[in-house]
Amino acid sequence: MLSLIPVFLLALSAHASLLAVQSPRYTVTGAKGSEVQAEPVSLAQKPSSPVALHGKETLKLTFQIVDKETGKGVQPHQTFLRFYDEKTNEEGIQPVRVTPGGKAKFELNLSKPPLSLPPTPDRDPLKVTLFIGSSVYDPLSVELFDLILPASQPAPAHPQELTFHPLPEIKHTFRPENKQPPRLISAVSVGIVFAPWVVLLGLWSQVAPRPSHLFSPSILPFILSLGAFETLLFRYWIGLKLGQVLLYGAILAIPTIFTGKQALSSIANHRLGRK
Amino acid sequence: MFSFRRVLFLAAGLASLVGAKSSTGNSVLVVVEPKRQDDFSIFYDGLRDQGYELTFRAPKDESPPVIEYDEAKFAHVVILASETKNFAKDITPQSLISLLDLETNLILGLSTKQTPLASLAPEFSLILPPPGTPLISYFPKREESPSLIPITPSKYDATEILNKDLPPVWFSGVPHAFGNNPLLVPILHAPAESFASEVDGGSADALVDAAEKGGEGLWAGSQLGIVTGFQALNGARVTWLGGVDLLTDELAQREVSNGVKSGNAQFARNVAAWTFKESLVLRIDKIEHHLVNATGPNEVYTTNDQLVYSIYISKYDPQKATWEPYSGIKDLQLEFTMLDPHIRSSLPPVPGAPGKYSTTFRAPDRHGVFKFVVDWKRKGWTYLHSSTTVPVVPPRHDGYPRFLSAAWPYYAGAISTSMAFFLFSAIWLAGEVQHGNKRAGKAGKTE
Repeated sequence: MLSLIPVFLLALSAHASLLAVQSPRYTVTGAKGSEVQAEPVSLAQKPSSPVALHGKETLKLTFQIVDKETGKGVQPHQTFLRFYDEKTNEEGIQPVRVTPGGKAKFELNLSKPPLSLPPTPDRDPLKVTLFIGSSVYDPLSVELFDLILPASQPAPAHPQELTFHPLPEIKHTFRPENKQPPRLISAVSVGIVFAPWVVLLGLWSQVAPRPSHLFSPSILPFILSLGAFETLLFRYWIGLKLGQVLLYGAILAIPTIFTGKQALSSIANHRLGRK
Repeated sequence: MFSFRRVLFLAAGLASLVGAKSSTGNSVLVVVEPKRQDDFSIFYDGLRDQGYELTFRAPKDESPPVIEYDEAKFAHVVILASETKNFAKDITPQSLISLLDLETNLILGLSTKQTPLASLAPEFSLILPPPGTPLISYFPKREESPSLIPITPSKYDATEILNKDLPPVWFSGVPHAFGNNPLLVPILHAPAESFASEVDGGSADALVDAAEKGGEGLWAGSQLGIVTGFQALNGARVTWLGGVDLLTDELAQREVSNGVKSGNAQFARNVAAWTFKESLVLRIDKIEHHLVNATGPNEVYTTNDQLVYSIYISKYDPQKATWEPYSGIKDLQLEFTMLDPHIRSSLPPVPGAPGKYSTTFRAPDRHGVFKFVVDWKRKGWTYLHSSTTVPVVPPRHDGYPRFLSAAWPYYAGAISTSMAFFLFSAIWLAGEVQHGNKRAGKAGKTE
């Protein structure tokens, strides 16, 4: 089957001849039928300025397809207009109806645009190309002009399509850091808290007794163990865990009980003047 | 005797290791009409050179079965019988879907005839033209039939799957329009000038009428696919061929222009390499997460911790049949998710550590069950997905900042009280005697 067709076509191609596009012309008409722009299309050279359509204007394109040798009108199998957006690679193919006499007329009415038009969300120019293909004649492809259409909705994308591209980065907004008062205020406040010591020490220097028994063997161990308790609680604040504090406190309690008992009984003896 | 058998086994194992060029296995079932079986010998030889073991089966044969005891019998299945309307009982659209579930890769051929495969294609979001309308193109001018088209791969085709500078590929078959499905991987598009039509008897007016009927009335232009891959979410790959003639010896040897052989043979190898998971195959080797300046992972992280997340990715190397560390992914992203992603940041490759991608970020100040999610899907590549759950908790009772300057006065007060107590105790205990004498004297007076 496949091998037969080329032979058949070879026979055809010997007779293949050229097609020509005659009197191509486009017209842009306004919504009320008034003509806005009408120009013949140059086939040899693509015009530099694009054709722009606004609002509900209509683009009408007419031309005739003729056999180049006989000049008779021809209706080829394929007469397509291709609207191609080079930026997005979106494409629309629109077949053009050609009469058996070769006359072709294409209307692009923006109030009801054909579904095949590619979406133009950014108003990128569409390259308009005419393809004429026929089994009898040589194929013909003509770049007509660039067309700028009003902005349209972008092509609908699958909801999952987003996950096939890098997604926008997300930064977490953190709560602001807690504010601290100036250290100077804290330092002054510490001074105020310690201020009573001045009064206390001042008055105490007048009335306080001299710790004459400080190094007495019955008193000193108890004072030291009280100091150890204070140190233990201070260390608890710095970094010890509760369990450790209870353990060390329990260990420390035993000597404290005995030294305390001894110290208080010796003081009691002093007070009662038993000594 | 025993040792000889062991040597044999070892040799067989070694041979399969050397031969296995696909990442998933090297057994291939080719379902082909017996009278066309010899048409594809270049394609078969290409597969055999790659180390595949081919098994042939006529469409109506009952054996070998494609699925036995719920296990896929072959790693890959190629159905070249594209015009067959009646297959054996075990080759149905449903069984092909089951094969995909079993991660078997498929190459399926379409034709202008209405076959079970043609009715399966819409399930893969491929929209076929009506039966009997192949793709034809009068461009470029050539001696061949309009339905035998030389197609030059463009930059919009799957450049990662196909060889660079691939010569034009002869194609004869049906095109398909694409539904809106991101899992599709278009491998080769139709030329812009081509369209689907009856070869003989197709009239110009019929084309215009078809287009006016609606959006899908006319199959034309470069938005159509002719060879299209589909990668299922489980990683199984399917390639739909618009026509199996693409793989024939005749088209592989036909010249596209004087002295230039067509790219069909190379194209067939590229397509088979992608479908049978030789090329563009990645895997995640391992992931790591830990605190900055720590080495091991934590069971639990605290809000506002600085976390390090690393992922190791390998790519399959079909030449050596090994997995090699791969640092070529430029757009990997990490999400730190609790219901919604709270943080999404890029996961760049680490220079000097092949295959390692790493990022550091601060855990959000919200506690809950979070997930490190890497979900990388790109057309043609294996989908990478990794999700690791970690709880993020508020600081423990002793995890908050301490010794704040605002609290200095309170510390001073407490320390001051303690000191005063100690000082008072010491003086009261040690200095009692002097007072005791005075008091004793007073007491004596009152007595």
